[in-house]
Amino acid sequence: MTLIPLLPASDSSAPFAFHNGVSIDRAAFYRQVLTLAAALPERERVLNMCTDRYWFAVTLFAAIARGMLTVLPNSAAPEHIAAVAAVQPGLLVLGDQAQSPLETLPYFRVDTLPADPAMDATAMPHIPFEQRVACMYTSGSTGAPMPHFKTFGRLQLAILAGAERVWGVAGAACSVVGTVPIRHMYGLESSVLLPILAGGRMSTRIPFFPADIASALAELPAPRLLVITPFHLRKLLEAGIVLPDIAVVLSATAPLSTELAAQARRQLACPILEIYGSTETGQVATRQPDLESDWQTLQGITLEQRDDEVWAVGEVYETPQMLNDTVELHDARTFRLLDRKANMINVAGKRSSLSFLNAALTGLPGVVDGVFCLPERQDGEEVERLVAFVVAPALDRATILAGLRLHVDSVFLPRHIVFVDALPRDGNGKILARTLQALLAQHLPGRS
Amino acid sequence: MEQQPSAHNEPDLALESEIAGLIVSALNLDIAPADIVPDAPLYGDELGIDSIDILEIALVMSKQYGVQMKADNEDNSTIFASLRKLAAYIREHRSK
Repeated sequence: MTLIPLLPASDSSAPFAFHNGVSIDRAAFYRQVLTLAAALPERERVLNMCTDRYWFAVTLFAAIARGMLTVLPNSAAPEHIAAVAAVQPGLLVLGDQAQSPLETLPYFRVDTLPADPAMDATAMPHIPFEQRVACMYTSGSTGAPMPHFKTFGRLQLAILAGAERVWGVAGAACSVVGTVPIRHMYGLESSVLLPILAGGRMSTRIPFFPADIASALAELPAPRLLVITPFHLRKLLEAGIVLPDIAVVLSATAPLSTELAAQARRQLACPILEIYGSTETGQVATRQPDLESDWQTLQGITLEQRDDEVWAVGEVYETPQMLNDTVELHDARTFRLLDRKANMINVAGKRSSLSFLNAALTGLPGVVDGVFCLPERQDGEEVERLVAFVVAPALDRATILAGLRLHVDSVFLPRHIVFVDALPRDGNGKILARTLQALLAQHLPGRS
Repeated sequence: MEQQPSAHNEPDLALESEIAGLIVSALNLDIAPADIVPDAPLYGDELGIDSIDILEIALVMSKQYGVQMKADNEDNSTIFASLRKLAAYIREHRSK
């Protein structure tokens, strides 16, 4: 059995995390992890709901040290959390909030323990390569959350392969600011694990407004890496505020247009690196969209065509993982992305499937029939909102939104709800794409 | 701090209606600006506004009024609590 140190050996006085002008060195971070690991009550599984990136990281590594699986739900929608808790019995919620963020489950607060000075790197535990450390969720096509387990050794291999690429473009290990959710694969890999496992530094904050992003960057020593989504990147550029020097911008979760990548490079004077990946595969490949159309896989990951599907293969995977998109392989390590699979939709970087959303809609009491549809995106828009056509004689817009909110992330709530008497389904019960486009043109002229 | 009633604390109805118009057009909402109830929550079921929309609104506010929203200096749940709160915040901080 291969064992790996929980945290990498490093210069213990090297600054690691920054918050409001206070810097925390590697040794203090390691002490905090080991202190919390010793204090956690015995559990098999924990739900890490920390809001601060530093406490999220401390909690994640403390759980790994104790052999506990960290469960990371993909949305805070109450029905999603309930569905996850139902299949993960005995969950303990870990958080940095005074009040438990989830009242239905037991809660343990992680950020009030003073670090034990006796804990140091010589007490660093070693973790089995095959230990399952994280369980991520995607919303499956039926609406039941689908778990994906990550093992410690493979996660670490993937992070080091990503670091080779990202630090390579930056010229050195970076200080990382991320605007993205830390419980999703992209934010977990690029804004949490990358700085921890590959010698970087992190901002503890998850900045939101452009002015917050600027101040989070300014707190950190150069070189700086900004981990962001295309939607947020466009808003940051539009704000036109002064930003500190950035070494690399990393973008993922939704396609980054050539035009936006080029504008970002002009305005920020740095390379713009786009990551291709998914919850199932983690980070697979990168490209610089304004310079190249092909993707290059990370070290140790190759792609294989089997029948109609393309699979990602390598030591980073327990079993090969199928890609969610249609790609054209040039060779085992370079490819072109042709099309996102039709059932998958993406709103501002969050993914769901139309069949999941349709199941949630038609499952609401009082909804006779219903269908979601994603209008064509218009030029210069990074985000498009959903439209729902609904047959529900007794319901109003507010009732439907309130019902959906229990099941789906709020970005997927329909911006327009069009009430109709019936949906034009064909003999197979399907609604053809062109029928939906005609409905859109009829009810929402200008948005079809 | 208890606020004394004064002219300054009277809602600026013209500004509220102007901001309501900006929100409806920026977010392509299905309603008329006058349908936004000044005291009702901006977040939530009525308008269906979420964090993506808040970023959009923040950008429009910075373009129109020169106000840069910040999450760490101000309590956003207060600023975005209602149209009236947002208008009061803009009136106090606007630079154009």
